[in-house]
Amino acid sequence: MLQKERPSATAGDPAKPILELRNVNKTFGSVAALHDFRASVALGEFVTVVGPSGCGKSTLFNIVAGLEEPDTGGILRFESRSVHASDLLGRVSFMPQRDLLFSWRTVIDNAILALEVEGVPRKKARAEALGLLPEFGLSGFADHYPHQLSGGMRQRVALMRTFLFKRELMLLDEPFGALDALTRAMMQRWLLDVWQKNRRTILFITHDVDEAIFLGDRVLVMTARPGGVKLEQRVDLPRPRSPDIVTSPAFIEIKRALLAAIEEESMKSFAAANFREYAQ
Amino acid sequence: MAAASKTSAGLFSTGHTVLRLVAGLAAIAVAWQASVLLFGIRPYYLPKLSVVLDAIASTPAAYAASVARTAAETLLGYVTGAAFGVLLGSVFFHHKVLKDTLFPMFVVSQTIPVIAFGAVVVLWFGNTLFAKAVMAFYLTFFPVTVNTLLGLQSVDPAQEALMKSFGAPHRQLFWKLQFPNALPQIFVALRLATSLSLVGAMVGEWFGDTTGLGVLLLQATYNENVVGIWAALLVASALGTLFYASVAGIERKVVFWRAEQ
Ligand SMILES: Nc1ncnc2c1ncn2[C@@H]1O[C@H](COP(=O)(O)OP(=O)(O)OP(=O)(O)O)[C@@H](O)[C@H]1O
Ligand SMILES: [Mg+2]
Repeated sequence: MLQKERPSATAGDPAKPILELRNVNKTFGSVAALHDFRASVALGEFVTVVGPSGCGKSTLFNIVAGLEEPDTGGILRFESRSVHASDLLGRVSFMPQRDLLFSWRTVIDNAILALEVEGVPRKKARAEALGLLPEFGLSGFADHYPHQLSGGMRQRVALMRTFLFKRELMLLDEPFGALDALTRAMMQRWLLDVWQKNRRTILFITHDVDEAIFLGDRVLVMTARPGGVKLEQRVDLPRPRSPDIVTSPAFIEIKRALLAAIEEESMKSFAAANFREYAQ
Repeated sequence: MAAASKTSAGLFSTGHTVLRLVAGLAAIAVAWQASVLLFGIRPYYLPKLSVVLDAIASTPAAYAASVARTAAETLLGYVTGAAFGVLLGSVFFHHKVLKDTLFPMFVVSQTIPVIAFGAVVVLWFGNTLFAKAVMAFYLTFFPVTVNTLLGLQSVDPAQEALMKSFGAPHRQLFWKLQFPNALPQIFVALRLATSLSLVGAMVGEWFGDTTGLGVLLLQATYNENVVGIWAALLVASALGTLFYASVAGIERKVVFWRAEQ
């Protein structure tokens, strides 16, 4: 998976943003999903995104993956070039919120889907994927079909499929949302390990504040819908991070700041929902 | 290991189905024979099963030739109709304008009673095997077209989006996602079309022919040969059942993920 040698600075180099969004809006009919969203992601950076449910996180990812065009007027820059969202198709490695495995394909053939699309011969792609199975906790399951797997395993197959689509920028939409706490903690450490070795740029959505801090160089807290950036929090915890870092004072201080911001936004979306109910 | 367990499970369930089928047939046979004997049903309404079987056994060559002929007509029409249906459904899927203009016409074409259509087909193609195959074709392609279109349209938009995010062109979107996703729906129509195509071929034979199950049925009716009618019926349903079971067996192999979910 290692593609290029890169300096081993922990946080990405802010002078070299791979992705920049400014004044990005997205409306679906009368629903404003994103409003004046702005963010910049540096090469090699790990940015986590938290926000109340329905605030537009997946919409943001759909735009960056090239699947959804933002409203006109916004600025979208990728690798220092101004682009349309659709230009990003095939250039960003995207893991959607659901696993979306193809039920007629085995684990190994689901994992190599992107490679096949790129034209890599099946045999070669399979050989590469087979070597990765242990790392993804899927040894011995190469020939199983999705309906024979647990939810956690399905998610890991989806993650593997995303990793095998080797692009500089990876978008992970709640990749560990379906996992139990134990597997989840394991996968977090594993992901950091893989990231440290390969240094790809990651944008990572989660509902879990601990996860957001533990993984990220930076946490973006989104506002209630329409989603914008409420708070940008640097996480200056040293890497590699050990699991007990979550009890360190620095971690707790960051967590306090984030929770306050999230609380405020959750209250807003809750109040909005209540208001709509009364209005009906 | 997984593949092995899958196959054995498949065989097991296939074996089970065959067993159930045989048991069901045996029950019908016993009920048939017993009710004729018990209630004293007159042979005019329902002859004894044993008599019907005797009739078949006494002229096996005629029945064998008829089965071969009708099976050939049915199969030819069915296979070409299925292929055409899948092709047409795919074309409609890709060209909405074509679908919107042609599809209503296909619906109308299916409201023409097959008998009326049969007369025309015999005028066009004469008393050939081909003419009967055309009837089978006509009854097969329509449900296959409709279900192909439905299946192709039933793709999860999120899976489509995923393929697009990999940069997949239309061709790959079709072959790697939309088409396999449509297979379960297509097979529903393929199973339905087995009996339809057999009906098409047999009705086609009524417009004039010398061999075939439809011919046997018609001759027996003219001659008020009740045993002959029932014999033709029995052989036709055996052929139909075998045909249906074969397609269902292929279905289980091809769209295994549906059966095991
Ligand atoms: N294709 C669409 N058409 C209409 N409305 C949409 C569409 N996609 C998203 N929305 C709306 O945009 C808003 C944001 O949705 P989005 O899926 O981005 O939220 P989210 O932050 O990912 O939520 P969650 O945390 O529950 O996954 C929602 O109100 C949703 O109903
Ligand atoms: Mg979402």
